[in-house]
Amino acid sequence: MMRIIDMYSFKYFVTIVYMLQTTEYQPIEFLKWYWRTNDFSRVMHRKQLERTKPAKLLLLILIIGSVLQIILGLLVVFLSPTTYGSIVGLAIILAYPAVWAHLIVIPLFFGRVFIINPKQKKLINESKHIFKEHTGIKIAIAGSYGKTSMKELLNTVLSPNKKVAMTPANKNVSISHAYFASKLKGDEDILLIEYGEGAPGDVPEFASITSPNMAIITGIAPAHLEKYPTLDDAAKDIFSLSQFVDSKDIYVNADSELALGYIASGQNRYDHKGVLGWKISDAKADITGTSFVMRKGKVVVKIKSGLLGLHNVGPLALCVALAHEFGLSKKQIEENIAKTKAFEHRMQPRPINGAWIIDDTYNGNIEGMKAGLGLLKSLKAKRKIYVTPGLVDQGVETENVHIEHGQAIAKAKPDRVILMDNSVTDFIKMGLDDAGYDNELQIIKDPLEFYTNIEHFLASGDIVLMQNDWTDNYN
Amino acid sequence: MKTIAVIFGGQSTEHDVSIVTALASVIKPLELTKKFHVEPVYIAKDGSWYWDKKLKDIKFYQSGEIEDYVKKAAKTHILFDNGLTLVKSSQFAGRKQYKKIDLVFPAMHGTHGEDGELMGILEMANVPYVGCNVPSSVIAMDKILAKQVTESAKIPSTPWTWFYSDELAHGSDKILKRINSLKYPLFVKPAHLGSSIGITRVTAKDQLMNALEVASHYDDKVIVEQGVENLVEATLPIMGNENPVPALLEEPLLKSEDFFDFETKYMQGGKKGTGKNAGAKASGSQGYSRIPADLPKDLYKAAEELGLNVYKSTGCRGIARVDMLVDTKAKKVMFNEINPLPGGLYAHNWNKAGISNVELVSKLIDYAEEAWQKKQKLATAFSTNYLKQF
Repeated sequence: MMRIIDMYSFKYFVTIVYMLQTTEYQPIEFLKWYWRTNDFSRVMHRKQLERTKPAKLLLLILIIGSVLQIILGLLVVFLSPTTYGSIVGLAIILAYPAVWAHLIVIPLFFGRVFIINPKQKKLINESKHIFKEHTGIKIAIAGSYGKTSMKELLNTVLSPNKKVAMTPANKNVSISHAYFASKLKGDEDILLIEYGEGAPGDVPEFASITSPNMAIITGIAPAHLEKYPTLDDAAKDIFSLSQFVDSKDIYVNADSELALGYIASGQNRYDHKGVLGWKISDAKADITGTSFVMRKGKVVVKIKSGLLGLHNVGPLALCVALAHEFGLSKKQIEENIAKTKAFEHRMQPRPINGAWIIDDTYNGNIEGMKAGLGLLKSLKAKRKIYVTPGLVDQGVETENVHIEHGQAIAKAKPDRVILMDNSVTDFIKMGLDDAGYDNELQIIKDPLEFYTNIEHFLASGDIVLMQNDWTDNYN
Repeated sequence: MKTIAVIFGGQSTEHDVSIVTALASVIKPLELTKKFHVEPVYIAKDGSWYWDKKLKDIKFYQSGEIEDYVKKAAKTHILFDNGLTLVKSSQFAGRKQYKKIDLVFPAMHGTHGEDGELMGILEMANVPYVGCNVPSSVIAMDKILAKQVTESAKIPSTPWTWFYSDELAHGSDKILKRINSLKYPLFVKPAHLGSSIGITRVTAKDQLMNALEVASHYDDKVIVEQGVENLVEATLPIMGNENPVPALLEEPLLKSEDFFDFETKYMQGGKKGTGKNAGAKASGSQGYSRIPADLPKDLYKAAEELGLNVYKSTGCRGIARVDMLVDTKAKKVMFNEINPLPGGLYAHNWNKAGISNVELVSKLIDYAEEAWQKKQKLATAFSTNYLKQF
């Protein structure tokens, strides 16, 4: 009853706009979320609406529209001579929250079709020309995971000695590429362009616009399967880069088992064993970082990076190899690699009251999860704690992926597993049971409360691996 | 789900410290366990009791809103009904709100709470409660009684003497004569207060009278202790009932000529110490100590043993903290005092020892229930025909 009453409060409209904002004003995503929501009072749990101009405008439309609907309903009630008419009028009045939650999508749709899309199309076309004419080395970075990290790593290693420009943060679709192109000066030695595939055909589209002459494929894992029918479709989309870049200039992460089947002859592999003739030895990882040695002929490079986990050896090795190809000296490479450190929320170690939290909350794929769990297993600690809500966007693979996730957790043998209570929790538990996990298991009903009070759950000597985090639009 | 009442505040100089202990170290972790309903019970400075959900918010006290609240809010009563029930009059129609309490977590420091008075009420109600019982609280909170009990258990301490505050008013000669047998520097302390309130370090005879008067102002009994040379202070949080377990030996970072008063302990984060390490290894909730204490292995072990002996000989249960004085040259550990409810539960130390805040409060609840269960097995009735004789 309270839930229904909540729909008639002002906060309900704020919630609707918040949902639109969180789904980046994508009508379908918004409606899917709206239809599966039972309790609107709990939607704005983690964050609040940012009162931007579009948000304020939408809020105004909702209020005006609703007031008009209520007036219409009242007119029908009072002017109708029959009881039937009064009931219809009353229904019009009571229906305004649901009606306007749907009608609000219409201005968004028209705004997108008639204003935003033409503007973006023009910008993208212009960027096509800019990329084509650019004389720098254009490196496309694609894959189901690890793209942003790879891009940041290359930038850290190359930029002290080369003019490097890269697409910002995780802005990795055509329009972001177009904005990126519009800001280029034209004298850059290297462009690092991240490809964020989200639906079939994305990667060829990005490649046709950005004209890459080198490509890195960071790995294949189930991701974005809400739009790709199968994992194979996603992998083929990513590997379609071979239509745009010479095989000898494509580098594929061979530590990604699912990528192996797609590597064509002539393409380069990079992994924990080596790349481009470089051999790797003495790889070690602890809470302070990762170290290893690379040898090629008489050249020996000693690598010490602040990145956590042996899964970073391959990407780091590729950075070294490419830096060497681009003419950086051994000293420059070693110095630049030493500057690499964990990126925010990606295997980022944080000390807290004598314990360590490895913040991997931006990790959203099973391969990344396994890599983190591998690190957790290898680390020494008084007590190991693993925290996760599971993964999103796994489509038909949701059950299988989370059973696999649970099994991987059990293999890492944490002393305590903490799961956030949601739609995939039972699948993870099934995986844990399958693999015989018999240590402590805790299910958290309120993730926000848990995260904000984490220090109360920890003691000195603990290592906590926190992987992935679900925003309000997942449950 | 069990209901736990956390009682804090009180008529004590450590009223404010108690609020912080309750809100930060007890209520928050208890709620995070998701196993208990937590009811905050605040005892105002005038001794009135209040029970209200809003009393869990530290801002309520920081903003001064609490002052208005206690003027307007209905006071809480307690009902002994084969257990403990909180009773609050409703604002409407003379109705009353009742809440049966399954367990009490006292978070009181100092007089009228930590000293056994509150425990007496809880014993009468026959409700399980966390921490030391009546006799151990009384002993622990009376520095003189604690010395007498531990001495009888052959636990060493520095030479000391004591007097009633009234004696000072009737002439100081006899007192000074007793004190003359001690070597300077001396420490003059009120017998019952914690948090270093009213304590003076006396290095010369001309400072003595003032120190005695200050201590007498706060308490009806005053203890005078001889200082220790080559001093390392050490404190050991301990928890458990019959088989207590120690946390880590903690060493306040201060030079031998310094000591921490209330201001230094709670208001400045322990920055008063001028030793070269002062504050450098701050790690406690009060930010002034080294954990574990930097002592040779044998002395560390001796201090741990002495701490446990003190805990057992004074009959402590649940949780307590034993303070010791270590003469590093003579390799001697001496008992100093015992605190039956350490500020903030000394959670910072337990954290270092591998126990989180949530685990700490959970264990203390378990110990409280264990002690209560054991008490239930004792016979409290005895049939006689005594009444029939009248």
